[in-house]
Amino acid sequence: MHETSIVNSIMRTLEMEFEQEKLNKMKAIHLKVGILSNIEPRLLHNAYSAYHITNPGYHHVVLHIESTELKIQCEVCNHITDVKNYRFICDNCERPSKNVIQGEEMLIHKVEFDD
Amino acid sequence: MSIEKSTKAARGTAQCENTNINLLKANDFVADIIKKEMAKSNTLLVNITSSAGSGKTTLMQKTAEKLKDKLNMAVMVGDLETERDAERIRETGIFALQIVTGGICHLEAQMIHQVLDQFDLPNIDLLFIENVGNLVCPASFDLGEDYRVTLMATTEGDDKPKKYPRMFLTSDMMLVSKADLLPYLPFSVEAVTKDAREVNHELEVLQISSLSEEGIDEWCDWLVQKVKQKQQT
Repeated sequence: MHETSIVNSIMRTLEMEFEQEKLNKMKAIHLKVGILSNIEPRLLHNAYSAYHITNPGYHHVVLHIESTELKIQCEVCNHITDVKNYRFICDNCERPSKNVIQGEEMLIHKVEFDD
Repeated sequence: MSIEKSTKAARGTAQCENTNINLLKANDFVADIIKKEMAKSNTLLVNITSSAGSGKTTLMQKTAEKLKDKLNMAVMVGDLETERDAERIRETGIFALQIVTGGICHLEAQMIHQVLDQFDLPNIDLLFIENVGNLVCPASFDLGEDYRVTLMATTEGDDKPKKYPRMFLTSDMMLVSKADLLPYLPFSVEAVTKDAREVNHELEVLQISSLSEEGIDEWCDWLVQKVKQKQQT
């Protein structure tokens, strides 16, 4: 169910950001979603297809989803760790860290329009 | 066979806007409005999350019973259907409002904002949002809360923090609930705390039972202290 809400939020967000005239020329939306975002790309694609049933205006707009892995950067030694098994601990100095630098994103990171 | 190279320019051009917009920006925009409303009335807003059946409503009842004479408090409670939880909380003598999501598995900032005018905020010190029972989706939606508190019932098994990491990463406190059942269950408070703190080393952990009242005084003290801090700012 929350994928439907997320698709609605994406479209509402785009409507806040761009003029309708520009949105009419939109042809692709690129998302970047982290592994920690609780977004499953396949389910989001399904929810996006379902969205077009009630909102046919955007049916030609293609949705691209890029998933990102989880990384933290230690605040003390600056080392970047690939987080495995949700263990948020620097693998250089073994200090815990909440400084997530990748993997939490829920971003609309590119929008393409017809010229 | 040679393939003739095309010398024609590509037909049609595309314009690209590189953005970095949070895709829940529409939700977060409303969450900010809620934060401002709460700041204006000095109301502490606490978002209570957990799986279904971990004891959120019972904790709301017990908290109301203990604190209603010290603090003005109210609850908004989200469920897919029925008014049952709000009725249970109202029986304790405090104001509770049911938000029926009609099938949606979480509360969004817009749903909270829509019912805010039902609450006499300037006269409320502590407002709880009892979220829909679910450790997945509610983790993604900021409701403008000051604190997020997640209940982790001993009956659920001690492996949840690593299974639902975002909820524990975004929480300020984990309440290990139904602690009175610990003698009968293969549940390790030490293991769940270790896993939860590997996800979020700043997470506060408290063991409680709404039935035996274990940890309830500490929980209420924590709330009173946070209300005071909010009112001082």
